[in-house]
Amino acid sequence: MLRLATITLLLSLCLPTLATGQIRAAGSTTLLPIIAEAAKVFRKQHPDITLTVSGGGSGVGITSLKQRKIEIGMSSRPLTKKEQTQLQHIAHEIPIAVDAVAIAVSKAVYQGGIKELTIQQVADIYRGKIRNWSELGGADSPILVIDKESSRGTRHVFAKVVLGDERARAPGATIITGSNNEEQSAISNSDKAIGMLSNAWLNDKVRAIALIQDNLSRLPSTENIISGRYPIQRTLNILIHNDSSTQTRAFVDFLQSEQGQQIVQQVGYLPAH
Amino acid sequence: MLRLWLNTATLLCAASLLLIVTFLLYASSPIFAAQGLNFVVEQEWYPYEALFGLLPVLVGSLLSVGVAIALALPLGVAAALFNLEIIPKAAQSWLRLLMELMAGIPSVVYGLLGLWLLVPLLESQLNLLTGRTLFTAALLLAIMALPTIMVLSEDALRRVSREQRENAVTLGLNWWQQVCRILLPQAWPGIRLATLLALGRALGETVAVMLVVGSIDRIPEPFYNLLLPAQTFTSRIGREMGEAEIDSLHWAALMSSGLALMLISLIVVAPSLFWRSK
Repeated sequence: MLRLATITLLLSLCLPTLATGQIRAAGSTTLLPIIAEAAKVFRKQHPDITLTVSGGGSGVGITSLKQRKIEIGMSSRPLTKKEQTQLQHIAHEIPIAVDAVAIAVSKAVYQGGIKELTIQQVADIYRGKIRNWSELGGADSPILVIDKESSRGTRHVFAKVVLGDERARAPGATIITGSNNEEQSAISNSDKAIGMLSNAWLNDKVRAIALIQDNLSRLPSTENIISGRYPIQRTLNILIHNDSSTQTRAFVDFLQSEQGQQIVQQVGYLPAH
Repeated sequence: MLRLWLNTATLLCAASLLLIVTFLLYASSPIFAAQGLNFVVEQEWYPYEALFGLLPVLVGSLLSVGVAIALALPLGVAAALFNLEIIPKAAQSWLRLLMELMAGIPSVVYGLLGLWLLVPLLESQLNLLTGRTLFTAALLLAIMALPTIMVLSEDALRRVSREQRENAVTLGLNWWQQVCRILLPQAWPGIRLATLLALGRALGETVAVMLVVGSIDRIPEPFYNLLLPAQTFTSRIGREMGEAEIDSLHWAALMSSGLALMLISLIVVAPSLFWRSK
């Protein structure tokens, strides 16, 4: 009995110290590559701190932070009014990077002649009014419209600009995906797909199309993002508790430092400052 | 002492079931309070607009599982018969081992297999807009249910008594007659149970289905068109549970989806109670 009591006592002494050396980050898969890469470097500098990074989407990041399941929430969209009031006295946002949401199509679609669209045309695709690429000057094939889970930050930003409301329905959608990774593979495995994708996830098989605005076609290029000319862009934020630990703060400082911002660019985003 | 232990264990089992049902009922009560029971038969699921129709997932789950079992049952029983009756004794244990291994593969592995093999294959062969369909999910579930049905059916077939077989031979029945008149009817209760177990697993399967079903909250048009993306109870819960705020209506609606899934499982398993008592 005495031994049991001793063990319990020891454990209860251990646990809080363990917890302070631990940083858990979760949320947006758009931010995931930045935080994961930064964590790799940070762990080398601070071997005593345990840092775990997982995805789930911005909604998950914000909810988990609120429930104090994690120390760092990753969010790729502005907070909603409700979230702002809920988090007011608990947590605050820190901008880490700037990113554009690209309208991405399969390589075959791009090569079939779809290289630029107006926002209205993209909206019509997602509303189900345009269902075949031939209506837009492409090959005669139906459009595979890929939508994202409603809690995803990328979707909020996309829907706000394209469909007019961050929570708008997309009745033209064919399938729903979750993470950037899942969406990227769905687009690249098809030859008729359109989707929304963070700029850093584009590759040869997943091409960004230019958006036509005021008769000018704008690709999500670095210059167009910096100048604000590309219409669908956002700040990538992390959220931390107001009373967060010194370790968490050290990691946040690292992210904002020159080295941290270099990682941001390495991964494919623009620095926040 | 043993008696006490057995009683406690039984009570704990029963209590945990009760606890689960009570918890699910409690957790989904806000949605019943807010929307009654109507949402169960409504079609639209838009959490942001407080629309929580369960009909699309009900159709999706029942169709995918139904088709999966319809595919896996004849195949599984045939494989069991083949293993028991046709191939040489030495190879039997190997085939069985293989099937048992198959039953032990984690479902996410099946999901990836489906995503990288089944989805592109169906897409190109059937000339579909996307290979993420209800049928893909059903096919994957069939593959996952197959080992359970085969292994348990084989056990059931093995248990048919030697005397029965010998009598059949003495009566001059040919092999087909032996199988259809003696073996299968005698082993039927076992095969039935095997099917139920497989059905339970298929109904609750989450990750594999989530990866290949398309996850769109819409009833296929017409509803028996399996070659369209759809959603099941498990894939919806799997995708949305993390994002739902605890104690929100959305959360309660997901809990009620869990409750509905549990009720369906109970209804499916219920007949076995009567079979046992016979």
